[in-house]
Amino acid sequence: MQETRHQFREDLKELERQVLGGLDLVIGQLDRALESVSYQDVELAAMVVADDDRIDGRYLEVHQGILSLLARQSPVATDLRIVAALLHCIRCIERMGDQCVNIAKLVPLSGHDAPKDKELLDAIERMGQLARSEVSEAKDSLRTRNVELAQDIVRQDAEINRLNRAIFKRAVEIGDDLELREWGMFMILVARCLERVGDNAVEIAEQVVFVVTGLFREVADIGTSAETAQSS
Amino acid sequence: MTGPETTSKEPEKMSSAPEQSEQEAAPDLSAMGERRQGHGIKVKDLHAYYGSVHAVKGVSIDFPANEVTALIGPSGSGKSTVVRCINRMHEEIPGGRSEGSVTLDEIDVYSPDVDITAVRRMIGMVFQKPNPFPTMSIFDNVAAGLRLTGTKTDNLRERVHRALRAVGLWGEVKNRLNSPGIGLSGGQQQRLCIARAVAVEPEVILMDEPASALDPISTLKVEELIDELKNRYTIAIVTHNMQQAARVAKSTVFMLDGEVVEHAETTKLFTNPSDERTERYVTGKFG
Amino acid sequence: MSATSGSTLLPRTSGGRKRKDRIMRGLMMAATGLALVPLILIIYYLLYKGLSSWGRSGFFTTDPNGNFFGNPGGIRSAILGTLEIVALATIIAIPVGIAVALWLTEYGKDAWFANVVRYFVDVMTGVPSIVFGLFIYISLVISHVGGSGFAGWKGSLALALLMLPIVIRSSEVVLLLVPATLREAALALGAPRWRIIWKVVLPTARSGLVTGSLLSIARGMGETAPLLFTVSVAFGLTGNLNSIMNSLPMQIFGDITSPRDAVVARAWGAALTLVALVLILNLIARAVSRRSRLT
Repeated sequence: MQETRHQFREDLKELERQVLGGLDLVIGQLDRALESVSYQDVELAAMVVADDDRIDGRYLEVHQGILSLLARQSPVATDLRIVAALLHCIRCIERMGDQCVNIAKLVPLSGHDAPKDKELLDAIERMGQLARSEVSEAKDSLRTRNVELAQDIVRQDAEINRLNRAIFKRAVEIGDDLELREWGMFMILVARCLERVGDNAVEIAEQVVFVVTGLFREVADIGTSAETAQSS
Repeated sequence: MTGPETTSKEPEKMSSAPEQSEQEAAPDLSAMGERRQGHGIKVKDLHAYYGSVHAVKGVSIDFPANEVTALIGPSGSGKSTVVRCINRMHEEIPGGRSEGSVTLDEIDVYSPDVDITAVRRMIGMVFQKPNPFPTMSIFDNVAAGLRLTGTKTDNLRERVHRALRAVGLWGEVKNRLNSPGIGLSGGQQQRLCIARAVAVEPEVILMDEPASALDPISTLKVEELIDELKNRYTIAIVTHNMQQAARVAKSTVFMLDGEVVEHAETTKLFTNPSDERTERYVTGKFG
Repeated sequence: MSATSGSTLLPRTSGGRKRKDRIMRGLMMAATGLALVPLILIIYYLLYKGLSSWGRSGFFTTDPNGNFFGNPGGIRSAILGTLEIVALATIIAIPVGIAVALWLTEYGKDAWFANVVRYFVDVMTGVPSIVFGLFIYISLVISHVGGSGFAGWKGSLALALLMLPIVIRSSEVVLLLVPATLREAALALGAPRWRIIWKVVLPTARSGLVTGSLLSIARGMGETAPLLFTVSVAFGLTGNLNSIMNSLPMQIFGDITSPRDAVVARAWGAALTLVALVLILNLIARAVSRRSRLT
């Protein structure tokens, strides 16, 4: 015998699949954006910018789907929390996509054969990997409703914040070298974008906790500057 | 106090009829006089039987004064039975009996010293299907509560008018108080029944699925009325319609198989219920 | 559209079925006609034989104690007697009958005792009317209770016994039709039981109760056998319920076997009068029930 409200459950699952798919899109964008930064690949950067349309489209689809579900099905309790969480998550996905675009847009600006500082570049790459891992874990956490995984994301984000501060310091250090200064400043911006991606992943983690426990707790950033605390 | 007000309103009505009728259409509880302190009901360890069937199994619920408490649950969960035990209507059913305590402000309604008709005067009831008395006019229907209980009063007309104003029916019927009560539409009939209950000036009003036989607009009007009524009375409402419970009630009780599963503030029950069974019922996974 | 299109979905009626339908219809119409024939004949005879009496002067205004050879007189005392006896029977039977019906529906309900009462009431509706007459005869007439042998009021008692089960049964049916929700509503308002009956149940059932009562009166009006043993017959106008009285059924009974044509004619006139009275009561009952809110 069919479970009650079969169509509703199907619709809800489909919305969730779309959100998870959105996270996959973000991961892809992030990978390519980071690659374009590492290798100064302007064409790849242009592709990232163009592909953001897909993420925006996904956002509209999910948004519309949620409105329709709310109007037609009056979800309550856990279903309601899931719907609210999905709405929040797709917002985060859209923002993450925008951050990837911001990173990609910085690539042509930072000069083709500009000299680079290895330490700074390593830090950026490390930050990128962490951000990517956070997004990937956010996806798994949402899919499996795993609260522990959600908490792990928060831990990783602390590391991203630390790296962000370190990159800033390093950029200031190399600022004396005129050739490196401009590139260094663009890297600060890239780091900032990555830090925001991390924050969005943390928000998704918070939503997972909300769905499972019914409680919404904001995770305080550990040891941040005022700026980082406001960013998202 | 409302007498002179009534007469001075007459000339106004004729000049600005549409405006006035909208005002009169809204429930106006101030017509009932100054606010009184409400009285709550406490049900403790209630058991109720239909013959040998154990329908209500040790239910304890607090109905706080001047609040709306909703009871939800699948058919046969015992919610109507609980409510009928509060005003002692359950024992009118052949084979109906109950044990446990039901107190209205510390007075046990089942105490042998208490007159059962007095209990029912203090605790009014509105039923699922509107049931105005067919042989009586609108006026007589509202006055019926007072007449049937032998209440002596020298301002019967005023009390009837007040009750009709209180439920927001005055504007619609003021010109035909003598026409038959059953000539009204379903929603109006139900509000007439509420006026009838209110005219007796109870402390508590029990409602057993009051809107389930009504169309959506009448339902909303009744809900609006309930929202007003709670300012003067304590209200318990049994409903099959979860959205209705969500709209009108401050706290909600979920019952299953004669027991209380969860009793929580309505918002919490519908966003984050504590019990798995409540979760499954409200999300429609069963029931 | 061809004749065979859709024949598998909606097959045509078979010829045999049509024939059977027609035969059954014919049979039923024949039975109806058979039943109607005597009815029409009775009405025809009544009118044919009785209308002339109606036209005779003094038919309704003189007593049937006219002299032996001349004008036999009218049926005034018979009509008045019937009216008096039936009125008294009504006053006894209807309140008691409605009260019993009320007890059965409001208090007795499904208890074993109430069912016993219902059973006995049903039995009483089947008892031949002569038995009621005999019962009163044995208990009240022979022993000259009340200072008289045959008396009008004793006839009223017999008729009341006859009418009682009819009133009880019909009233119970009507009272059961009063929706339980009305009683519930009144109870929930805090009304005591008796007031609910008086102000809610009875007014709601009123036209049904009236109809039932009128029909029982019509029945009682025409009964001869009970009066035979309790009232006997008189010719003059006695007007005294504690003595023998005249009544229409007894008048007819006595007159029809007379060798005098005029007297026989009077009997037919009386019969027509009786039927007319019953018919009027039936028409009133019907008019009342049409305005009823329950049936």
